[in-house]
Amino acid sequence: MKLPFIGWHGVITIVAYALFILGSTLYLATRGVSRKNLSSFYLANKGLGPLLLFFTLFATQYSGNTVIGYPAAAYRLGFAWWQSVPYMVLVIAGYLLFAPRLHVVSKKYGFVTPSDWFDKRFNSKAVTLVATLLMAYGLLNYLLEQLVAMGQAISGLTAGVIPYIYGVIFLVTIMLIYEWMGGMKAVALADFINGVVILIGVIGFVLLAWANFGSLSSATQNLIATAPKKVAVPPLQTSVNWISMYILVGIGAAVYPHAIQRIYAADSEKTLKKSLLRMAWMPFFTTGVVFLIGIIGTQAFPGLDKMQSEQLVGMMANVIAGKSAFNYWFMMLLFSGVIAAIMSTTDSVLLSLSSLLSNDIYGKVIKPNADEAEKVMWGKITGIILVFLLLLIAWKPPATLVEIFTLKFEVLIQVAPAFLLGLYWKGLSKTGVLLGMLSGAVLAGGMTFSGMKTLWGWHGGVLGLGLNIVISVVFSLLFPDKKEEQERAEEVYSWVVR
Amino acid sequence: MVREPVRIKWIWPVLVVIILLGVPWYLPQGTIEPVIMGFPYWAFISFLMTAILSLFLGYVINRCWDMETLLDNSSGKDKGGERK
Repeated sequence: MKLPFIGWHGVITIVAYALFILGSTLYLATRGVSRKNLSSFYLANKGLGPLLLFFTLFATQYSGNTVIGYPAAAYRLGFAWWQSVPYMVLVIAGYLLFAPRLHVVSKKYGFVTPSDWFDKRFNSKAVTLVATLLMAYGLLNYLLEQLVAMGQAISGLTAGVIPYIYGVIFLVTIMLIYEWMGGMKAVALADFINGVVILIGVIGFVLLAWANFGSLSSATQNLIATAPKKVAVPPLQTSVNWISMYILVGIGAAVYPHAIQRIYAADSEKTLKKSLLRMAWMPFFTTGVVFLIGIIGTQAFPGLDKMQSEQLVGMMANVIAGKSAFNYWFMMLLFSGVIAAIMSTTDSVLLSLSSLLSNDIYGKVIKPNADEAEKVMWGKITGIILVFLLLLIAWKPPATLVEIFTLKFEVLIQVAPAFLLGLYWKGLSKTGVLLGMLSGAVLAGGMTFSGMKTLWGWHGGVLGLGLNIVISVVFSLLFPDKKEEQERAEEVYSWVVR
Repeated sequence: MVREPVRIKWIWPVLVVIILLGVPWYLPQGTIEPVIMGFPYWAFISFLMTAILSLFLGYVINRCWDMETLLDNSSGKDKGGERK
């Protein structure tokens, strides 16, 4: 995304914004946070109230890709990209499949990470380790994608005044400081500020785009004349692809490790319900709004190829900013919104990764008898080392944004059966769930690496999940756990059924 | 009674129907008209079904999910493990 008009004003905005976030989180969100206790540090003492929980769910879910990559997708696909609204709504349906039960179970047993559920339910080192490694791998990919997006956004938006890598290092350092000091509480507060800026930025942008480039109706009429395929009922394969996306995102985004940790961090069921209720409407104001931006963009800048279309938001912002001083400063706000969206996703993923490293890798494998302060410290330090290793990789950014977006789901979604089946069926055995996760990950990963994104419209991650469920069930029936193990597993959750 | 969405069976077929009606697989491919508020008719149907989906999920969250207070009141969280 290039906004040559911004230059030094952009540099000032970005520095001021980042310092504002740092100042507010340090001032408001570090008191009362124990950095020597896993639950206090990684889950804000399981005390997130409705407002903070809602904004951290919201801002984490929508990343920089939503603001920059999604209008480009709408530009290329036309109205078939409306799917991005229902599939984001379906994340709530994904939650309803397991969150109500997992929330009460997690409170009872004091879970900190998703791996704690695996440990309690399956009581097998192998299952917990494989699940942890799958999640850590997915989170690392996700983090890498965010770092790349961050670097591109900053260097593009400041017209290269801040070079790619310095921009990333600057923002990452800010995030690492507030995370180090305040853990989840600081992340949630930063997400609150970022969430507000994202909303104002995208909604304001669509209004200005509408005013400057013409209405949705005129863009549609223009498309009917120039590219009717983008307006017409799509072929059956595209419809299959929609449904595949529904499953991939609906289930995948709900079982993200950082999403699961927000189920744990809710201070009560009432809070969780209230936040999910609001989240069910947010896609209209986010993916719905950026969808409109992309469609309006087809009229403003017709005939862009795939790579050019990725610059769409920047091109539109440039024209809008050139028209008045108000527009110019409003585009600066949009610019902060893009940075905000990337930051709010990155900080949550980073915290979740750090918690997996400290609670699960260090605390369960390397040194199980370590005290909590030691575990937290280990997670923080290895987290920082990993981030800097990723920065080295992020220097060489991959092609376009939307394609890497589905990549992380392919792996992360493979932990879903352990929740969707494991919370309700005592027969799901260690062998079944282990082979299921592995076979699903191998199929999904294999398809991705061989360059086959979909098969008859179905995504690799969804096919992997299908295979995963079948293998989990079949091998659980063939190699069931011992009767006493099944009874012990059932005790973990059966008390909620009354 | 504890209310948990997964155990209320009718929710899920209704959800599937709402989801499937929002995807244009059953409409004649290549058609556009009429255009309603800037949306081709099939995308407008999908827009309406998405709104219905959000409403329905809101209903399920409010009416079909109530666990914590009942579980807390009955015998407290700490002893929960012994209960069957």
